[in-house]
Amino acid sequence: MEGARTRPIWAFLTGPYAVFLLFLLLVPFANVAMYSIHPYSPTKVFLPELTLDNYRKIFDLYYVRLFGRTLRLGLITTAVCVVLGYPLAYFLARAMPRVQALCLFLLIMPLMVSAVIRVFGWIVILGRKGLVNQALVALGLEPVKLLYSETAVVIGLVNIFLPFMVLPIMASIERIPPSLEEAAQNLGANWYQMFRRTILPLSLPGLISGCLLVYSLSISAFVTPALMGNARERMAGQQIYDEVLVSFNWPVASSLALTLVLLTVGLMFCALFATRHASRRETAP
Amino acid sequence: MPRSVELEVCELTKRYSPQVSVGPISFEVYEGEFFSLLGPSGCGKTTTLRCIAGFEGLSQGSIKLHGERLDDKPPHRRDVGLVFQNYALFPHLTVFDNIAFGLRLRRLAKSAIADRVGRVLQLVDLAEMAARFPAQLSGGQQQRVAIARSLVLEPRILMFDEPLSNLDFKLRIQMREELRNLQRRLGKTSIYVTHDQTEALALSDRIAVLSHGRIEQIGTPGEIYERPATAFVAEFIGSSNMLRARIVGDVDSAKIVVTEAGLRLCCRAESNDMLDDGADVSVLLRPERVHIETPGGAAVPGQNRVAARIADVTYLGEDLHLSLDLVSGDLLRASLKNANSTRTWTPAQAVEIVIDAADIRLLRR
Repeated sequence: MEGARTRPIWAFLTGPYAVFLLFLLLVPFANVAMYSIHPYSPTKVFLPELTLDNYRKIFDLYYVRLFGRTLRLGLITTAVCVVLGYPLAYFLARAMPRVQALCLFLLIMPLMVSAVIRVFGWIVILGRKGLVNQALVALGLEPVKLLYSETAVVIGLVNIFLPFMVLPIMASIERIPPSLEEAAQNLGANWYQMFRRTILPLSLPGLISGCLLVYSLSISAFVTPALMGNARERMAGQQIYDEVLVSFNWPVASSLALTLVLLTVGLMFCALFATRHASRRETAP
Repeated sequence: MPRSVELEVCELTKRYSPQVSVGPISFEVYEGEFFSLLGPSGCGKTTTLRCIAGFEGLSQGSIKLHGERLDDKPPHRRDVGLVFQNYALFPHLTVFDNIAFGLRLRRLAKSAIADRVGRVLQLVDLAEMAARFPAQLSGGQQQRVAIARSLVLEPRILMFDEPLSNLDFKLRIQMREELRNLQRRLGKTSIYVTHDQTEALALSDRIAVLSHGRIEQIGTPGEIYERPATAFVAEFIGSSNMLRARIVGDVDSAKIVVTEAGLRLCCRAESNDMLDDGADVSVLLRPERVHIETPGGAAVPGQNRVAARIADVTYLGEDLHLSLDLVSGDLLRASLKNANSTRTWTPAQAVEIVIDAADIRLLRR
């Protein structure tokens, strides 16, 4: 009996994925970290000496603006997803099962379409002679330049990442019994007060995971900004792609990639810390 | 002393679909009264409660609180407290904050809130639990927090939606008594929804028995139990013997009935007079009013004596339940207190059953 209890079941359960992670994530990651502290060489990939030059380069105006733009577009995409996604998540969480299943299918559909086809769809809609501009012209208005702009990138990113916002929020709202809403109303709360004092705090974990997902996916996006964005206003993903495959400057690409990862992880910690702090204050007597 | 009407429900009707509807239901609740809505699931009792709280709109009818229309107000302006079946405590708030929830919405001063929450916590005996979260409390304690949360707002009416159904048996009895004492002490008008007849009988001043969206009978626990108006009420409250019979005549202000199997009984219950000779009726006989004796007793006027055989004895500790085969072929159930004298009854024994004529009620069929 003692033996049965101490047998490390967890090793069998987590082992296969742990091995997978070790060889396909941690080892390549260490490799990238290693590249990032060696100087670039056009002939030998990198030189066998240590340097921080690759990181210093990030403080060049070009790269500062690159990261600034990336983080800004990530923030805007996340904010738009919250505004569009939260009401949708609430509706879905409280909808009848059949309505919920249908709407979830529609919501997830963009993820089932290949990125290229999806972007072509957007080109048809947003292009210079696209549906939006045809409608504007028909109404006697000036056509606008939508495609190949930051606006287009945000539209494209929101389109694919909205499910990652809606699903976690929906899951956390579904766990809130509807009787809690009724109890709040019975105690004198109007709809807004009820929402602010019960639904919002109780769905905060879902909202935060949604934001973290959308944000980290947005700042590392590549296909959508490459096809829908302005070539001169790139996001970090495109720059890394170019450094790797066009300039073959792997050390700089590595330092950019690591910086992006660190920014993401740092923001996640900030968000987690902020929510724990907020929830502690909320519950203080 | 005429009591003033606190809540008046008039022709309340809620239609979910052409086939499914509740009502029309009408009743009045007096000030300080403990009023129960009792019925099986799906009878419309919870719908009625939700209409009063404002979570369901009425299809027809009106609800008045102190003569003022209630049904056109939104739920948060109704001033009727509701204790939910699953308590619906806010899991992210402490006991204190749960109870202070409504007071904060009313923008009371901090000191006033602390004062009122403190007093109500004393009242439900949870003063030490103020800083706990609902998940850290037992079922009974959560129940008391839910009551305190409504009570602290001093609503006109306090309503309970099957509040004891999630508690285990012993705790249910204990909470039932606490609830009763609390209501008596505060004199708060209360409406209590339950499917448990024992709860309704133990707690209520008056009970409305509902079935299929209609009220079958409104009365005190005694009236409901002793003088059920319909066969449904008789069967739902307590256990009962129901025999189909026909009235064959009158003897000294008592009715003589003959059951379908041929048993002749003399009935003298008060409200039987409205029934005419030849009417088809149901004979209602409570098992605890069926007495059992050894054969050969002398007949007394006003008593029915029938020869019978004990078919089965069920031992339940406090009580014994007996199944009896009558010579006529009718079956009767009897319930006896467990005592030295009753423990001698054994299956297949020949006995005589004695039923007081005043204990037999006739219901129109």
